[in-house]
Amino acid sequence: MSVLQEVITWFGEAGTWTGSNGIPTRVQEHLMLSGTALLFAAPVAIAVGLFIGHTRKAEFITVTIANLGRAIPSFAILAFVFPFTLELGLGLGFWPTVIALFFLAIPPILTNTYVGVKGVDQDTLEAARGMGMSGGQILRTIEVPLAARLIVSGLRTSSVQVVATATLGAVIASGGLGRYIVDGFAFGTFGPNGVEGRQMVVGGALLVAALALLTEVGLGFLERLMVPRGMTEPRLHVTPGPDPRSEEMAQTTA
Amino acid sequence: MRRPRSYVLGAALLAFGLVLGACGSGGDEDTGTGGNEPEEKGSVTVGSDGFYEAQIVGAMYALVLEDAGYDVESRLDLDSREVRLPAMESGEIDIAPEYIASLLSVLDPDSGGATTPEEGAETLAPLLEDMGLELLPHSEAVDVNAFVVSQDTADELGLAAVSDLADVAGELTLGAPPECPKRPYCIPGLKDTYGVEFGDFKPLEYGAATIQALEAGAIDVALLFSTDPLISQKGLVLLEDDKDLQQADNITPLVRSEVLNDEIAELLNAVSAALTTDNITPLNARVLVDQEDPEDVARDFLEEQGLL
Repeated sequence: MSVLQEVITWFGEAGTWTGSNGIPTRVQEHLMLSGTALLFAAPVAIAVGLFIGHTRKAEFITVTIANLGRAIPSFAILAFVFPFTLELGLGLGFWPTVIALFFLAIPPILTNTYVGVKGVDQDTLEAARGMGMSGGQILRTIEVPLAARLIVSGLRTSSVQVVATATLGAVIASGGLGRYIVDGFAFGTFGPNGVEGRQMVVGGALLVAALALLTEVGLGFLERLMVPRGMTEPRLHVTPGPDPRSEEMAQTTA
Repeated sequence: MRRPRSYVLGAALLAFGLVLGACGSGGDEDTGTGGNEPEEKGSVTVGSDGFYEAQIVGAMYALVLEDAGYDVESRLDLDSREVRLPAMESGEIDIAPEYIASLLSVLDPDSGGATTPEEGAETLAPLLEDMGLELLPHSEAVDVNAFVVSQDTADELGLAAVSDLADVAGELTLGAPPECPKRPYCIPGLKDTYGVEFGDFKPLEYGAATIQALEAGAIDVALLFSTDPLISQKGLVLLEDDKDLQQADNITPLVRSEVLNDEIAELLNAVSAALTTDNITPLNARVLVDQEDPEDVARDFLEEQGLL
């Protein structure tokens, strides 16, 4: 039997889908890990991104520090965080993994938010200021809507990365789809005794890839729904009216 | 755009092929069976699994052979038995330290194990012969699964031996490598031999993670190896295997029959004769705790024993 055939068999077995080591349970755990990390990372990253984009203060240093979350291997962050979370009585598995994923989740969201806000047309901002809008009003009614697409796109990128990386936690006893991969290797993957190990490693990897893809597509769909109407593409749009050349009648949606 | 694209493709394939070729040839040398000139004794490759104890013993084998005039290549960083055994079968690795009972449980899971190293070696002999391998006489150094608790836990629950766990295991958490639920010397064995069933199981990588978890109380009982120097260093309590669940995992040289000659056998046997559980544990400590190089530690030991 080839490895592919072994994996197909595995997916066909009832036992693979039931119980505490069954696929539904593991997927649920995996989503909990990813979701919790994003739940904490998104507000922080968006808030900081909005701040530095709007005020133009501390841009370089903030983005550099944030990118440490990308540069430092998540595995290293996990190993570093692990003793501290043990000390704090947060237990094994879940919280250390969430913390490591938190640092991974921040950079795409923060960078996209920051770039999105910074990219708002200077003329538009000047006009707004000229109209007497406060900083807060500008942020809320102009910068955020215009940056919305990039922000959501950043959330999407981040989510996919987090889902793909949440497998890490399995090395410190977390649940999730990483369990199949880590346990599969531990059971042994060579020779005739290694069937189960191979099934779990390859099956687990396929499941993670599928979940990450689903996240990408699902959030992409959400992205289209969520972004304010008319924001999908920059476009100069003139509505037909009594006098098309009249400036009042022309609407610019950008 | 067609021509440049196919050039790029061709270059990429060529590069890929070169990389594959480089990977395939590795760094192994031919294992000659000597007899070139009187001085040259031919090459041998000594391998070991990539954990401290195996590396130390592997280094010992390599050093004594080198000292006797053999051209030795050391590969003391192999992933595991699962990688090393096929490599020995195919001739890439000639000599490696093995653990008798563990090897038996891998090559013949239904054999019922080995309570003595002699029994184990006997059962293994025909299986190994089919692979072109053989075991030399074993050493008295034994490294088995050890169930360990903190001093506080031992005092609180009155634990000195594994059988003491039977009544309280339901409230305790075991931390062990992920394959523990499948290994006869681990969870199934605890249940069958001792009637011990833990309330919870946390799959943890062997080593620092397990010990940290134990010290922080995230797990109550940890699986370590009996010659792990950190057990005494951290003041942990090794529960006695009073019902003999753990088997004869004596450290023994495993050798390719084609390479073996009387002189090599004599040299390796001398190393085995010098090794005991008591004297290997401090060597482990030097590598694990003091971060010394396995080869230096091995050399010191051999010089002390007059083997080098």
